[in-house]
Amino acid sequence: MLKHNLRLTDQQETTGVSRRTFIKGLGLIGGGSVLLSPGAGRAKAAQGASSAAGLSPEQLTAMYADMLKIRLWESKVKDLILKGGFRGVAHLYVGQEAIAVGVCRALRPDDYIASNHRGHGHLIAKGGDMRLMLAEITHKATGYCKGYGGSLHITDVSLGILGMNGVVGAAHLFGAGAAYGIRVKGTDQVAVSFGGDGSLQNSFFTSGANAAAAWKLPWIAIIENNGYQIWVRAKDVYAITDLAHRADGFGIEGRIVDGNDVLAVYNAAKYAVEKARKGGGPTVIECKTYRWYDHYGAGGSRIGVDGAFGLGYRSDQELRDWMAKDPIRRFRDFLVAEKVLTTDRADAIRDEVAKAVEDAVAFAAAQPVPKPEDGLRNVFAQGSVPLHTT
Amino acid sequence: MPKNMSFAILEAIQGEMRRDKLLTLLYEYQSPSAGWSGRSINLQAEFGLPRVRFCAIDEHWIVGAALGMSMSGVPAIAHIPSMTTFIPFELMFNHAGKLRHMTGGQAAFPMVLWADMAGRSPAQGGQHADAGLESCYARLTGLKVVVPSNPYDAKGLMISAIRDVDPVVFCHYGMPASGPEVPDEPYTVPIGEPAVRSEGKDITLVAYAPQTTEVANAVELLKKDGISAEFIDPRTLAPLEGVMPTIIDSVKKTGRLLTSDEGSYTFGNCAEIVARVAEAVPGARFKRLAFPDAPAPGAPEMLSYMRVRAADIVAAAKKMLRA
Repeated sequence: MLKHNLRLTDQQETTGVSRRTFIKGLGLIGGGSVLLSPGAGRAKAAQGASSAAGLSPEQLTAMYADMLKIRLWESKVKDLILKGGFRGVAHLYVGQEAIAVGVCRALRPDDYIASNHRGHGHLIAKGGDMRLMLAEITHKATGYCKGYGGSLHITDVSLGILGMNGVVGAAHLFGAGAAYGIRVKGTDQVAVSFGGDGSLQNSFFTSGANAAAAWKLPWIAIIENNGYQIWVRAKDVYAITDLAHRADGFGIEGRIVDGNDVLAVYNAAKYAVEKARKGGGPTVIECKTYRWYDHYGAGGSRIGVDGAFGLGYRSDQELRDWMAKDPIRRFRDFLVAEKVLTTDRADAIRDEVAKAVEDAVAFAAAQPVPKPEDGLRNVFAQGSVPLHTT
Repeated sequence: MPKNMSFAILEAIQGEMRRDKLLTLLYEYQSPSAGWSGRSINLQAEFGLPRVRFCAIDEHWIVGAALGMSMSGVPAIAHIPSMTTFIPFELMFNHAGKLRHMTGGQAAFPMVLWADMAGRSPAQGGQHADAGLESCYARLTGLKVVVPSNPYDAKGLMISAIRDVDPVVFCHYGMPASGPEVPDEPYTVPIGEPAVRSEGKDITLVAYAPQTTEVANAVELLKKDGISAEFIDPRTLAPLEGVMPTIIDSVKKTGRLLTSDEGSYTFGNCAEIVARVAEAVPGARFKRLAFPDAPAPGAPEMLSYMRVRAADIVAAAKKMLRA
């Protein structure tokens, strides 16, 4: 059992306005979350924060490795795109790894996640196989979706992954719907949906949130506020800065965390998950973060170099400021300081992950492409649809 | 008098909910209760929460929940009222109808979109008197679309829809209590199987609910004039592969196809049926009757003038036979 740095927690729990506390919290690690909605959640929040201390060294090390898997796997995808001839697309998650790993560490294997277009990280954190993912995003016959789906739509129902999804906001309905299904089944599972700051505006989030609140469904919405939806600045299209305030109107507890602090994310998620399992209803968790790359693809980036620069809609300085808050470096520094890892061991883990990523690349490259005629299959459970080219 | 449409449909759902302990019904408008001949069904009273859920006016929730539930192993029926037919369209289009294919066969949506259809009711106005919208759903990939014309088919098709592992849009027009007696026990009417309502040799008539009433009357009127019309009700509009051989064989025999559509003229389902027959039967003659490309007016005088009636079908059939 480790004693984590919880200095921020007390401050945050007593601070009514979130923005200042959030900014103060940046650069530190192991913080709690800011409680937006008053009420019964307040007392429980402190317990939620301190429960990070329940993570074993092995679990913390696994979280570090998971974050590296996301970083290195996606960086490799970026490099492959830049090399040219890549059979697919990608909406890169790099920079946001703490969110996927912090949330999924709080889940059981039988819990559900519903993911979005920027979802590679969610899948890896939920146990997705990097080899099958790379095979899928290059549309190979042995990928997760047999080459039908590609990057935007990787799904593994057996791992409780209800799919990445190319329509923004849909994950919130799938998650809340799965949560209603949990109510019907009578289990203590939970369902988590991931969405960006752009996922709150069409009616899908609204519909899921209202029903989840009305009936206390075991649903947790993770809002990854990376500041941009496609290429428009969130601050240009929202009158509010803290999107977790949206939860208030539904009667849902909203929380804000530093999305680059994996333990803060874990604390908030663990609190929300435990609450949901006990019938305490939904939680909306806004994670403040930043995407290091463009909305999609590898524009503005270079092989072997982190980050996409020179994009017209954001400043390079803004990116550099956020890269200085790199969630992986922060967590690594924390683990070394807490003596969970030596620097040698941390480096060795990185090398192991890098090797696994190279294995995934080799695996995917060696996989067969689908049979053309299989495009007519899997429209329905049975049979094929007719071809109309002759 | 056979059971009415609502009773037959609820009897189907009741039996399936007794059989499958997870099957769940979400609705916002019509109470899942009905009576017939001194008997009553009340699904809310029998199954209660959470399996029978009275929801907010929110079709995105009702249909989206059915997707999330069914993808995670809880089959669901999403019941929406007639004026909201297209609010959940995106969910059926981009998700229910595509994700099995997009996931290489992994994702399954054992769900039914039970869509009430208004039909051309007078004194309602355009939003509450629409018809023909099933053709928009039938246009989408990966969905099955059924349109029962009588209570017997309604019960059998609803049971088939519930048991189908693929998403089914069940288009529910309020049809009269006619046709075969509806057994109390569960039975299925297979999806993709048309019904030959009357056999004939001179002309083929194709229509589905709610034009079937007019066509059935037209068949009787034509018979009095010595014209033998074959009337085929497709019952399923998507996929059409199972339906077409019966219609094509009929037109090969009669050489004439007259379709009648309660929906508006352009891109109606019958247009698709005509096109497929035209490809398969060289030399056949065709005529499409339909509602104009206009919303349904509230004033009965206008509405009645615009709808296809039995007399219109008789006149069109006779014209085709003279030619």
